[in-house]
Amino acid sequence: MNIKIIDSHLREYLKTPATANEIKDILSLTSVSVEKLEKVEKDYIYDIEVTTNRVDLMSVLGIAKEAQTSLTQFGKAARFIKPIFKKPKEEQIEKISIKNDPKLVNRVCAVVLSVNVKDSPLFIKERLERSGIRSLNNLIDITNYVMREIGHPAHVFDFQRITTKTIVIRESSKGEKIKTLDGKEYVLPGGDIVADDGEGNIIDLLGIMGLENSVVTKNSKRILFFIDNNNPHKIRKTSMELGIRSEAAVLNEKGVDPEKAYDALLKGIELYEKYADGKVISPIYDIYPNKIAEKKIDVSEEKISKVLGIKIPEAEIKNILTKLGFGVLKKGNELEVIVPTSRVEDVEIEEDIIEEVARIYGYHKLPSILPKVELVKSSPFTNQFFWEERVKNSLKYWGFTETYTYSMVSADLFEGDIKDAVKIGNPLNEDLVFMRRTIVPSLLKVLHENKGNEEVKIFELANTYHKRLNNLPEETMTLAGVFKKSDASFYEAKGIIEQLLNDLGIKSIFKKPQKASVGSSVYIDKQSLRSSELKSYIGEIEVLDNNIIDFELNFEEILKHAALKKTYKPIAKHPPIVEDLSFIVDINVQTQDIIEEIRKQSTLITDVYLLDEFENSRTFHVIYQDPDKNLTNEEVSKIRKKIIKSLKEKFNTELKN
Amino acid sequence: MEEELIGIKNSAISLILESSDLKNLEEIKLQFLGRSGKLTLAIKNISKLPIEKRPEIGVLANEVKNTIEQTIQDKEKELKEGKLKTKKEKIDVTNPGIKPPLGHLHLITQAIEEITEIFEKIGFTRLRYPEVEWDWYAFTSLNFPPNHPARDDWETFFVDAPESKKYGKMLLTPHTSSGQVREMQKRIIPIKMLNIAKCYRRQSDISHTPVFHQFEGLVISDDISIVNLKGTLDYFVKSYFGEKRVSRIRPYHFQFTEPSFEVDVSCGVCDGRGCKLCKEGWLELGGAGMVHPNVLKAGGIDSKKYTGFAFGWGVERVLMMKEGIEIDDLRILYSNKLEFLNQF
Repeated sequence: MNIKIIDSHLREYLKTPATANEIKDILSLTSVSVEKLEKVEKDYIYDIEVTTNRVDLMSVLGIAKEAQTSLTQFGKAARFIKPIFKKPKEEQIEKISIKNDPKLVNRVCAVVLSVNVKDSPLFIKERLERSGIRSLNNLIDITNYVMREIGHPAHVFDFQRITTKTIVIRESSKGEKIKTLDGKEYVLPGGDIVADDGEGNIIDLLGIMGLENSVVTKNSKRILFFIDNNNPHKIRKTSMELGIRSEAAVLNEKGVDPEKAYDALLKGIELYEKYADGKVISPIYDIYPNKIAEKKIDVSEEKISKVLGIKIPEAEIKNILTKLGFGVLKKGNELEVIVPTSRVEDVEIEEDIIEEVARIYGYHKLPSILPKVELVKSSPFTNQFFWEERVKNSLKYWGFTETYTYSMVSADLFEGDIKDAVKIGNPLNEDLVFMRRTIVPSLLKVLHENKGNEEVKIFELANTYHKRLNNLPEETMTLAGVFKKSDASFYEAKGIIEQLLNDLGIKSIFKKPQKASVGSSVYIDKQSLRSSELKSYIGEIEVLDNNIIDFELNFEEILKHAALKKTYKPIAKHPPIVEDLSFIVDINVQTQDIIEEIRKQSTLITDVYLLDEFENSRTFHVIYQDPDKNLTNEEVSKIRKKIIKSLKEKFNTELKN
Repeated sequence: MEEELIGIKNSAISLILESSDLKNLEEIKLQFLGRSGKLTLAIKNISKLPIEKRPEIGVLANEVKNTIEQTIQDKEKELKEGKLKTKKEKIDVTNPGIKPPLGHLHLITQAIEEITEIFEKIGFTRLRYPEVEWDWYAFTSLNFPPNHPARDDWETFFVDAPESKKYGKMLLTPHTSSGQVREMQKRIIPIKMLNIAKCYRRQSDISHTPVFHQFEGLVISDDISIVNLKGTLDYFVKSYFGEKRVSRIRPYHFQFTEPSFEVDVSCGVCDGRGCKLCKEGWLELGGAGMVHPNVLKAGGIDSKKYTGFAFGWGVERVLMMKEGIEIDDLRILYSNKLEFLNQF
């Protein structure tokens, strides 16, 4: 949350020769980040980001106090001027009955004043406008000014519009309707903190925004100045559900120190007296059921040094904590630290105290040293990330572009039974509902979105998600690719996968498709691995049409077999004999079966592959080699005859020419 | 005979000189010097001459042979050089080359590879944890109170699945920190892990995408302090952004660290002087801090004995903070427009 603090306002409570720029730098390093410093006429505006745990700094007083500590630590003179509020004389002219519910509200401070509505004085107007709050009239402006100065939200009712002179604090019921002071209507979700006039009419949405039926107008004569310190969780729920993010709500949901409520009341009275001809005409009400208990934390100097990495003298620790408003007592080897009420929500354990000491001491004063090398564990060189990178790079150098699509998909893009889907309960939109089980549909969508491109090659390596009963879904790293070009060839896709796997030391097998109507199933050949299974299924190649082919492979399964291991075979001393044999083959005979049959004929055949295919003829390139001697034509001729004979018997082939 | 030899010489030389290519020259060579070439045959006929004439004619024949051979050699050289010359003249260096295919890795992959390399050099090990997680690992074990806003329906994606009695709701990890306690539970100390993963938050605008990436470092041992966090951070900032950039840590607040820091890097555009792109000369890198004792406890680690630091930063964020990549809408990273992807 951000707050804008006006330099002239700050300096009412902070006496220092430090420039605005110095204050900016020092606060940023030790406390809260000053994101911008803007000069306006003779004044400056600090735009400060306050972390959610430091709601005590969402005020001029909070920043002034903090700045005093930080500035003096940097050797700058600085003194915090503590405001003194005088309690005014109470009157009995008016009375109000306030019935509180301690579960909802920690403290209520209230008073009735007679007033005159008019414009605020220039300095109030300017300070409010410059810190991002619209100036309306003196009655409203004073509540905002009090909030900005003290840090506790404040509210003002037109007292005469609360005809019952009664306020009952209660939880709303679901469906109750309200109209806020800006004229907007809301239906309450139920369980919200509201003020009731005792007759069932809601007159305030406590801690968030006033309502139209009780707001001050230009005719108001008597006001009820009202400070309510609320249950922060209730405030957040109501504020988020109704979408009312007023500054009061943002503060109240973080838990404001109830000790500040009374100061806020007195400050408000002082301002109404000065700038609204205000006169107190009622008793001062202070209903305070939930007082903050004192909190003590023990901290050791040794622990402080351990966390910081350097030693800070005890005197310095004491000095820093005292300046921040903590009480410090020496207790044996430890220090007993008493937490100020404004910090009890935030400071709970020893480490919180250490943080206070360290930040004020200055993180910039600590050296930078890498952790010791002995912390390094050995890890294999070829881990999963190694293979992922290798595969991605291969595809890149074969012309593929990598995409990053979202893990969630629409019902249309989800492949499989939607009942098996890992479904998001609160999706952002209908395109991001199901955790995908496959990646190809996302890639095809990318293809569609880039349809102006005639040739596209894309891939993605990402998790897919598979539902499991009573357990987290299984996350499977999956490799998918799509390519599009005119007359795309299945063999191109197959070749890519073969080479990709070859590079990982894996032999692949291709079989007729399990899923796709045209394409192939891909297996890892485990024969050479002496595995009990001969092959394991890893995915599919799918020919979608003449131009588009996709593939999707289980990368986890690939990882199990990927290896850099290579075996050296001595280089042959005797030259091979190479020949091409062309056969007339029936179209239904698979090339792989022919190759296997040819290889079976002799151990001297070291390699066979399909060289060419034309109509019903296929040409095989056959390599004969004997490691021990030069092969003669007669020897090769014998093997050749065997090949021709066995192929004729098995597949009814004829040798061409 | 004499005349015949002279005739052979003349016709050979004229043919050789007229020859315009090497193939033709080879043919001429065969025609005269081959096994049944004109000169070869003529030389064979010398034996049929009267013995006293033979030496004279022999010398002449030799001379003719040498001349023809020399001329062929010269012509051969000329033709070869000439061929080279014409080839040179034909090259237009501005014509396109025949390129091997070259695709593109996504910017995020490139950043992840770079980040991994930097941290591995100083002994971090990259690891991976579930993306779909239990609330307990994402929040409770990280010291988030039950009512913490991060658990709100409008902040975090929850999975439509039965709650676990032990671990609470199922959700999509909103940060890489959910790997912290999973790593601690392995009970192997020291820990020096790097977790780079997809994260999910229920938001989409020019600086947020519902899916994004974070990288998280976690170091736990018996003597880890803020000083070590600063050392690690400086090392990363200088390695990734460049020697000129400096970093600072300043107080911040996170549930799972105490003390907590916000890490800033000096702006590369204005060199820390302050400009439109930065906050008074600094760019926010992300959060860091000393591991909260409650988190160590949740991971089964003795918080009296061990201390640790952790940081978790956005991959997209560091990418955008790098010079030269000024993307005005983060969502383009996930638009998968080829026009965009093919730039990197």
